[in-house]
Amino acid sequence: MSDRLTKISLPIWLTAIFGILMIIEFFFSVPQIVTDTNVKLRSWVTIVSAAALILGTFILTIAHVKRAYERKPGWYYSLIYIGAFAVAGALGLISVRETNFMWIFNNMTSPIGAALYSLTAFTITSAAFRVFRARNWKASVMLVCGFIVLMMLLPVGGAIFPPIVPIGEWIRSFPSSAGFRGMIIGISLGTIGLGVRIFLGRQKEHLGIREEKKEAS
Amino acid sequence: MVLILAGRLVSLVALIILVGAILYYIQRAMSGKIPKLRRLPAVDVIQEIVGRCVEMGRPVWYLFGSTDMTTPSILAPTVAAFQTLSYTARIAARLGAKLFVPLNQGLAYTMASDIVREAYVAENKLEDFDPLKTVMYLPSGADRMYIINHMWEEQVAGAFFLGSWYHEAVIYTENAAREGAVMLGGTDTTHNIPFLVAICDYSVIGEELYALGAYVSQDALQSSSLAGQDIGKYLAIIAILIGAILVTAGISLTEFFKLGW
Repeated sequence: MSDRLTKISLPIWLTAIFGILMIIEFFFSVPQIVTDTNVKLRSWVTIVSAAALILGTFILTIAHVKRAYERKPGWYYSLIYIGAFAVAGALGLISVRETNFMWIFNNMTSPIGAALYSLTAFTITSAAFRVFRARNWKASVMLVCGFIVLMMLLPVGGAIFPPIVPIGEWIRSFPSSAGFRGMIIGISLGTIGLGVRIFLGRQKEHLGIREEKKEAS
Repeated sequence: MVLILAGRLVSLVALIILVGAILYYIQRAMSGKIPKLRRLPAVDVIQEIVGRCVEMGRPVWYLFGSTDMTTPSILAPTVAAFQTLSYTARIAARLGAKLFVPLNQGLAYTMASDIVREAYVAENKLEDFDPLKTVMYLPSGADRMYIINHMWEEQVAGAFFLGSWYHEAVIYTENAAREGAVMLGGTDTTHNIPFLVAICDYSVIGEELYALGAYVSQDALQSSSLAGQDIGKYLAIIAILIGAILVTAGISLTEFFKLGW
């Protein structure tokens, strides 16, 4: 098979055929064989993702081994990675339900993840400080609205000034949700446009393909 | 047997109209009639950010957010961000910028790796592409600490935050802002759009994320499809106006939709 067929034409055709199959199943009453095929295709996605995960882990491990071997700055962190990978990997291979493996997950991975997640509170605060400055009238509107909604959510806000609760609720229910709905409509249109371009094979950079175009926009 | 599933007729008709409009404009472009489109400011910003990084001798980062491509709501913005990555990587290769693309999902990692490699090949700069460093797989969870730490350590001068962004958007953009990086942000995750718009120097809002890939492709046929999307916007505006008038007049549309259309 030619290089173009395997690298460009085949992936585009497969994308279009499988994509259209999914669309047909969503809108139309289809024979059971189509539904079964689609279920199988969706399982393939999970399997391909798992294979890609193995590849990613393999490359990450190579990168760390190389860094530790070449004694590059921070090489000792790579040793920690290699040790952790070896221990967790070995325990996982014995059994993922094995007590020691689950202990690592419940007592190390999970709390570290939660601790990192908690960083959001601090960064949101400093980001809010950066953003909520009345530099112009638009920023001032945002500042006022943000303040009203914040006071509405705090118990003290309603206690000090009771009308702030319905005002805050009105901001959330009407101007805010209207804006979001507008965005959602636009995003849906954008997604459909992207899908059409991909199905037609006009947009194929996601396949790692970038052909020189003759036309200029 | 019912051919169309209950409650999906209206969506199907809307989809057919929209796809028809997009195909119509692509067809027109093929016959030489290119529609006039508003140029997204973000297109010029990409080169500006990468150029700034080269001048300062500091790296440029391209971050994706969530990249779990088995989730449909994440898949679409991630693919859209891939289109822009291809363009950005090519500029980075051309100008000699140090590009870094971290990803936290295996499938997205392999795709991004291919895209960036192809961009370096296209610019005859394959020697500048490091398969272990330019695009890096960082397991989900561990990626946050690595990214924050290296943002400070490497003094990132420019960063792109495109794709499906959740709470990490605030953590990363705020750290990059403190480091003085110039940022372009864009996501279709509605609750994080305000953060990216507020913190980033430049932003693409919602659907502009999808349009950006078509703009940077320099393919007239791709950008023509955006004119087709505008037909959908006009229809949505008309539907909203009719709906608002009917609701104001006390005519409920609930019964209409209960018919299973």
